[in-house]
This record gives sequence, structure tokens and C-alpha cells, in this order.
Amino acid sequence: MTIVAAEHLSKWYGQVSGLNDVSVSVPAGITGLLGPNGAGKSTFMKLITGQLRPSKGQVQVLGEPIWDNPALFQRIGFCPEQDAFYDRMTGREWVTALAGLHGFDDRTAADAAARAIAAVELTEAADRKIGSYSKGMRQRIKLAQAIAHEPELLILDEPLSGMDPLMRRRTVKQIKEWARAGTSVLVSSHILHEIESMTSNIVLINNGRIVAEGDVHQIRELIDEHPHTVSIRTTQTHAVARELLADEGVVSVRFEPGGLVVETARPDAFYARVTDLAASGRFGPIDEITSPDDNLQAVFRYLVKQ
Amino acid sequence: MSTRPVPPSFAAGAVRVFGLSLGEMLWSRRTVFLLLVTGAPVFLALVARVVQGSGVVPVRLNGAAVDGGSIFGMMIWVFFLRFIVPVLGVFYGTSLIADEVEERTLTYLFTRPIRRGAVLVGKYLAYIVSTTLVVLPSVVLVYFVLVPLGQVARTFLAFAADLGLLALGLAAYGALFALVGAALKRPLVSGLVFVFGWEQIALLVPGYLKRFTVAHYVQGLVPHAMPSEGVATLLQSVLRDNPPALVCILVLAAVVGVTLWLGVKAVESREYVLDQ
Amino acid sequence: MPIHDQGYRRYPGRRRPTGTAWWVIARQQIRTVLSQKRYLILLLLAWVPFVGRVVQIYLAANFQQASFLATSAQLFRGFLDQQGLFVFLLIVGASGAIADDRRANALQVYLSKPLTRVEYIAGKLFAPLAFVLGVTLLPALLLLVVHVAFSGSLTFVVQNLYLLPAIVLYSVALALVGTFTMVALSSLSKSRRFTALTFTGLFFFTTAMYQALQRITGSRLWALISPRDMLSVIGDAAFRVPGARALPLWAALLGVTVIIALSILVLERRIRGVEVVK
Repeated sequence: MTIVAAEHLSKWYGQVSGLNDVSVSVPAGITGLLGPNGAGKSTFMKLITGQLRPSKGQVQVLGEPIWDNPALFQRIGFCPEQDAFYDRMTGREWVTALAGLHGFDDRTAADAAARAIAAVELTEAADRKIGSYSKGMRQRIKLAQAIAHEPELLILDEPLSGMDPLMRRRTVKQIKEWARAGTSVLVSSHILHEIESMTSNIVLINNGRIVAEGDVHQIRELIDEHPHTVSIRTTQTHAVARELLADEGVVSVRFEPGGLVVETARPDAFYARVTDLAASGRFGPIDEITSPDDNLQAVFRYLVKQ
Repeated sequence: MSTRPVPPSFAAGAVRVFGLSLGEMLWSRRTVFLLLVTGAPVFLALVARVVQGSGVVPVRLNGAAVDGGSIFGMMIWVFFLRFIVPVLGVFYGTSLIADEVEERTLTYLFTRPIRRGAVLVGKYLAYIVSTTLVVLPSVVLVYFVLVPLGQVARTFLAFAADLGLLALGLAAYGALFALVGAALKRPLVSGLVFVFGWEQIALLVPGYLKRFTVAHYVQGLVPHAMPSEGVATLLQSVLRDNPPALVCILVLAAVVGVTLWLGVKAVESREYVLDQ
Repeated sequence: MPIHDQGYRRYPGRRRPTGTAWWVIARQQIRTVLSQKRYLILLLLAWVPFVGRVVQIYLAANFQQASFLATSAQLFRGFLDQQGLFVFLLIVGASGAIADDRRANALQVYLSKPLTRVEYIAGKLFAPLAFVLGVTLLPALLLLVVHVAFSGSLTFVVQNLYLLPAIVLYSVALALVGTFTMVALSSLSKSRRFTALTFTGLFFFTTAMYQALQRITGSRLWALISPRDMLSVIGDAAFRVPGARALPLWAALLGVTVIIALSILVLERRIRGVEVVK
């Protein structure tokens, strides 16, 4: 199921192009929207939340156009990036009032707000004014207003900003639980390891264009011009290196304390070879095989060329 | 959620936004300014009452010594009609959406299953309640301070008319400037130019121009004599041609309806880009 | 040494002397204003009355038929009053002087630099002061020069030597009262719009209050609550306008001094590096 579908979507602000001919389908589940600063993430977020109208092309969310379609927000929860609130209100009052805008009666809105506030672990502070909250608490109360009406789709713009490491882990865990319960989540961030901890499904955007979309590992495999880097921890570094150098796909070998780092243009064949070597035991134990660049950071770096 | 509620209708959404905004408006810093502005006529009324009671200096209007009822009429003209009502209309009306944009809280309202126009109407209703809750009691206080009890029965109808026309004036100016605030990038300057520039000039010029002001119709409902303390106001009183009260009420109601409708259209078609 | 250290190096050059940091802030404010088209247009339009007066002086000096346009002290007073609208708009334009910094939480950043609060406030005051004096004091003094140039003699200036200090006093009083009040109001809010509205409201409101109180009590001493009328008294006294004044000059000067002092007090309380949220 596609939760967000953009077709030849463009947005410009006067002479400045924010998004340029973007066509992308975001599937159900958790998807990370990544890109460096100024890439077009915010513009894309504003288009899919109906705050901006496309200059060209179209965008559909949950199968319907989003611009001038307020009824669709019954099924969408949005947590914006900006740190802005009605500071005079308490957290509970604020979430309840916003929940009330979804058509709930007062009692149901209050119950929904209480559940949402409990989910983000803010019950104790719920009756304090938002103006007295710390940055992390403000971020959590923002999440609460996004989930109070139990939407099908959660759109989160930098949801972990301002949170301490412990709260980040708990929030990431919470987001995964919501996804397991059936809510689709689209998370925008430029903190790669946070996205990586949530999902391997990404949309990478740069200079107003979609650079890549899909599973991060599959994307990595398709990046031909950057050979795969494999790190092997072993005591018999030179012997293993001599053996591996015979492989035509090996591009380079570098020695490091306690192991070696190999670059190969044929990762599948290479992994099979190393597995055989480890199984044979001819060169002593091979303690660890990792791929330092089979991850989001490497994909990001290679595709965005930073 | 097993059963998702039906998205609120336009009216229900506006009522919800009204509830959310009323508290924000009543307890904001702006209300301090509002209380100061509406408290001043009460202070003036007290001073006038003391001065009149002392008999030291008779209060004069247009050169003639006057009683409390006439001073009340003068204050309705000078303070409430020419200053408080239009300035509150500009102050609050242009800020209905602009405040939310500046505070970057507009996103929360525009990503709910209610029409954007309902947000504007809800905030407009909150403006009406906040301003009338402060302005009308001020008028009541001024009336009872200035007008001796013996004259209340005689002047009560005119006083009730004053309350009604001030409420209507607040509604009309508020709706007009809600449209200005929703449609224009610099609504404050446009609002001030309209009130202190266009309306003042148009009321001075003989002919049809004055019909394109709100002041002409609001002033048409005033039951008191217009004070003429300077050349401009003297000219205004000479060139004044009052339409019938019913016409004034209908036109002001039409101003409220049409400008609010246009404001709704403006809000629903405009893109609001908030500072990050 | 053959291989040079690429690490961080301290700045070896000359630094500005202490106490000049206010100029950095002032310069930035001026640049910001001049980069906006609407202010450039306003500043240009503010010189149109000057051109009109130059034409008047030229005609009076060169054509007998235009002798009724002859230069007098009232020409300069009238010119400065005419500039009132531009002064008002320029001052309202400074509504974000401190409000914008409070909104962006920039006060802490500023005050964590080697910059005192006095320098910060001085920097914020300088730009609106400079612009207001640029459309009042400067053109008024230039009109004097223009008169000398077109008339070919210093007679008028010598006979009216008081004009020079009068122009300076009135322009400076206008500029100081307006800018101090606006910058003080700006420090009370995070919204430039709210500040502008409050200033505008107070400006018209105090005038209306004075007129009403004056009518009710018959006393013009109520002019003490209206900065506009106090400044008018100062102008009348400086330009020796005949007729009774609403207030004695000393009272008007005291009044505007109180306004400036109150503004300084507000600024002293509000410009802090920390803000306590209760």
C-alpha cells in the first residue's frame, strides 16, 4: 500500500526551486526521509501535509489529494519541526484542545489526550504550563498531539530533536511499536543513525530531487562506483591478504591493527570466499567480518557526495 | 481507534477554534493594552464628574456648558467611535491569522480536519467576544458615572443604541481587518492607512466617497450630536448625511458577511510559510 | 620548519578598542534597513518636502512676485512638522530592534560576547536615531545653507541666529523621544508587530486623552500626558512662536526627560542575558 505518492512534483518559490520533478512512492511502514540541509525535505514535508500547494505535478496522501482536503487530516498526525506552542496552556489542555478539533466530544478528547500523554511519558508534567517545559518535554508533547487521534499515518519532522539519549531510544522504540500496531510513519531527519535505528527503508533527497528510495542495503549494492568495504579481524593478516588478493574482484587491501580492510567490486562472491576461508581454518581464526559502508551513512555520503 | 469521529462541520470547527482562541485572547498581553485603552474613558468620566460636581469649571462642548449626558455623547464620539472601535478592529482583526503565523502555531490548526476558513471564523468570534466583553462594560461604567440617575430613564434608549452600534462597529471593523490580515502581507500599515487616512478624508469630501467607509454607517447610528472641535470635525458635521438607521444596520451586517466570506476564501487559497 | 602546523591559530591582527562594539550592531541595523526597498523609498520620499522648500526659497529669493513666500523661522518649524509622518513611519520601522533579538533568543548570544549592555542598547538606538535625524536635522540645516546660497547673503542667518540651536533642539528632541520609547517598547515584547501597534496606539491615545481632559477641565496642563503636545511646546518655544503655550517650557522639557528616563529604566531591566520563566 502506498501512503504517499508524488508524481512529477515541483515547487518553486519565485526563482528558487524547492523541489524539482519529484516522483516517489512511499510504502506503508516506517520510512526515513533523508537529505542534507537545504535538500528539499521541508518543502516535501509541507507539500505532503497540505501547507503548500504544488507548483506542478500532484501529491496524494493515503490515496487522496492533500491540498484543500482537511477531512484527510482525520487520518494523519503531523509533528512539525518548529518549537512553537501556546505557552500559556498546560500540556494536557493543549493536547485536549487540539484533539477536540478532530470532532471528539470533550470527554473523549480528554481521554485521548491522556492516553497520548501517557504514551510519551509526560503524565506527571501534563498539568504544568508548556512554557515551563524543557526542550525534550516540548518535543514529546508535540508528539502527543500528533498521536492523540490515533492516525493511520504519522508524519514526523525531526521528532527526536532536543531529546536526551535515553529518551531518544524510548521514542524510537515507541515509534516502532506504533508501526507494528499498523500506523505508517514517515520520519524526516538528517541524523542518520537515528533513522537507521528505526528503519532500513529510506527516501534520499538532495538539491530538490529524489536521489534514491528503497531499502538502504539494496541501494548500497547498486552503487557501483564505490567498491564495498569489508573489514576482517584476524591474527594472520598477511596470509589472509595474500589469499584474497588472488581474487580478481578485490580492488585494494589495507592493513590495520588486528585485521585488514578490503575493497571489492564483487561483494557477493567475496563474502562467499571469505566464508570458505573462515570455515577451512587454514589461516587461523577469522574473528569478525563487518561491512563499514553497508549502512546509511555510506549511502548518504556516496550519493550526496559529501 | 475503533470508530473515528466524523470531521467537524464548518460551524462546529469554528466553535472549537473559538473555544481554543478565546482564552488565548483574553489572557494575552494585548488585553493589558485593551484594558488601558478602555479604562481611560472611565477615568475621564470620573474626572468630569468630579469637576462638574465641584462647580469650579463648567465643562464646555462647542462653546456651551454641558451636562453629563452630553459629555457621555462626546465621549462616545471622540473616544469610542473615532478611536477605540477602529483601533481595536485593526489591532485584533489584522492579527487573527498573523499572530499564529508569527508564533508558528498555525500549523497545528491547519493540519486538523477542519476547514481553514473555520479557523478564521472561530478566531473572529473570539475577537468579538473578547472586545465586547471589555469595551461594552467600559461604556456602561462611563454612562452611569456621567449621567445622573434622574436622567437615566430619559437617556436609556439612546444608551442602548450606543451599546448596539459599538458592538456592530467592532464586528464590522473586525471582519474588514480580518480580511485585510488574511489577504495582505502588511496588514497593519494598510489598516492604519484605512482608518486614519482614507476614512478621515472620505468623510470630509462631499459626495459618494463616504459610502465606502465603515465609519459613515456606524456614525449614522449615533443618537448624539457630533462634537466639532476643529476644522476637520466641523467639516465632517456639516457634510454629514446620515442614511436611515435600517440602511446602516443592513450595510454593516453586509460588510461583516461579505468581508468574512472573502477572508475565508483568502485563507483557504493562500500558502502560509512559517519561519523555521 | 619544513612542515607547517595546520591547526587553529589565534588572530594576530589588531582588534577594535573596547567600547566600539556598538558600532558593529548599529552598522548591521543600518545595512538591514537600507537593503529593504520599502525603507529606501520612504527615505527618498522624506526628502520630497525638502525639494519643495528649496523651490520655495529659490522663488522667494529671485522673484519679487513670490515675496509672500519669503523665508522665515516658521518655514523651518513648518518643515520639521511636515516631516512628522516620515519620522513616525521610520520609528515604527524600528519596532523589531530588540523584539526580533528576543524572539530569536539572540540576546544571550550578544551578551556572551565582549559587549556591554550599554553598547548593545547604544547600537540599537543609533540606526533609528540616525535615520530620523537624517530626515529632520540634516535637511533643515541644509535649508539654511540653501537660503544663504540663493539669497547670496548671511543677513537672514545673522538676524535669526537662534534658528540653528532651535533646529537642533527640536530635531534632537523629536528623535530622542521617539527612538527611546520605541526601543524600550521593543524590549518588552517578542513581536515587532505588537510593538508597532502599541506605539501607534499610545501615540494617538495620549493625544486624544489630552484633548478630552483639556476640554473637560479647561486646563492645558494635561499636555503632560501627551508626548506629541510636549514636543510641540518645545518646538514653539525654540522657534519663538508667539502665543500662549499649553505648558511652561521647563515642564515640557521635564516631561520628555522623564519619558527618556523611563525608557532607559525599562531597557536596563529588560536587557539581560538570562530570562526567568516561572
